[in-house]
Amino acid sequence: MKKLASLILLIPGVAYAQQAGWGNVGQAQEEAFSLAKWWTEPLFSGFWMAWTRATLAFFIVIFAMIAVMAILEIRRPGGDKRLGILGLETTRGDRLFIGLLGSAYVFIAWLGLITAPLWFPLAIAVAWIGFCFWKV
Amino acid sequence: MKTETQRGWLFVLPVLALVAFNALVPLMTVVNYSVQETFGNNQFFWHGLGWFSDILRSERFHAALGRQLFFTATILAIEVPLGVAIALAMPRKGIWVPVCLVLMALPLLIPWNVVGAMWNIFTLPDIGLLGYTLNTTLGINYNMTQSPVAAWATIIVMDVWHWTSLVVLLAYAGLISIPEAYYQAAKIDGASNWSVFRYIQLPKMKRVLTIAVLLRFMDSFNIYTEPFVLTGGGPGNSTTLLSIDLVKVALGQFDLGPAAAMSLIYFAITLAVSWLFYTLMTKDES
Repeated sequence: MKKLASLILLIPGVAYAQQAGWGNVGQAQEEAFSLAKWWTEPLFSGFWMAWTRATLAFFIVIFAMIAVMAILEIRRPGGDKRLGILGLETTRGDRLFIGLLGSAYVFIAWLGLITAPLWFPLAIAVAWIGFCFWKV
Repeated sequence: MKTETQRGWLFVLPVLALVAFNALVPLMTVVNYSVQETFGNNQFFWHGLGWFSDILRSERFHAALGRQLFFTATILAIEVPLGVAIALAMPRKGIWVPVCLVLMALPLLIPWNVVGAMWNIFTLPDIGLLGYTLNTTLGINYNMTQSPVAAWATIIVMDVWHWTSLVVLLAYAGLISIPEAYYQAAKIDGASNWSVFRYIQLPKMKRVLTIAVLLRFMDSFNIYTEPFVLTGGGPGNSTTLLSIDLVKVALGQFDLGPAAAMSLIYFAITLAVSWLFYTLMTKDES
């Protein structure tokens, strides 16, 4: 009799355990926030251009560079021409172009010959762009 | 003081809008595709720079790029000297000038896919004029659907036939702009024909030849329609140039990610080589 009474007392415990353990099965879980996922998930769902925050940021940077070039040209017209170390007469737009194209090749070479991560080629690319504005 | 109006910008606006829609927006889309994977249904999944690594290490890409570089180098090596030679041989005065110009311009007027189809029929071994003559009359075994050498020879000859005229017309425009006084001075100095060419005609043609080489480089490096219609990239993969391979990946296999990565690498090559050509050839003028 005592045993039976203690079994009855266990029922709510079992029911609670069931509730806690199995109740969530098949239900959507709150996912932990991941910066990498936020950065790379589709931005405008269903839109054909397939934007992500990462690629949007890339283009914002490119267009910002062009805008800065335009503002500089309005402030100081003439393009700041000079004879650089390569023996070429370059304007500041030329220097940006050479810098960006060179950087693209640094990344292509790194991906083709070594592999990701790309922190080291990023440093090379930044140094190259700096060098272009300084000497080329 | 001269006052400047900014009204010119307004007139440029339609072109800017057009370029934005037919070049900038697709290019941005290609960049977006190049870092993602899709299985259709307009759903995309992030893949990072994996496609770039894959393409840069892919044997297939290396082979297509090699064929493309070989094709471009060959046609430039033939078309530029040949075009200059024909321009030098063309009359500068008289009734034959318009006749020559029209004859030269004719191949340029034919649409690219028609050129491909024409040469396809022209080289058929059983009914094509060239194919039949080579095989039956001259006894040379020539069949571009079987032999890679024949296929290569055909696409190169076809491109030379189609595009040498462009170099001719540009070189001719450069030649007729040279004042008569230069030739008279050369005559007085007793200059040879070679010296006249080397020190008068060639320097005067330099600017137009720069444009000719640039145009021919870009066009031949991006060529698609003519070899596609003529050989379809075959036999096997022997004439699968970069653009043909790209279309196979993008539309045949619907691998948008790898195709986009390939396009961007392709674009980087075209951009760099064009810039290099232009910079080196206009270096002395600045």
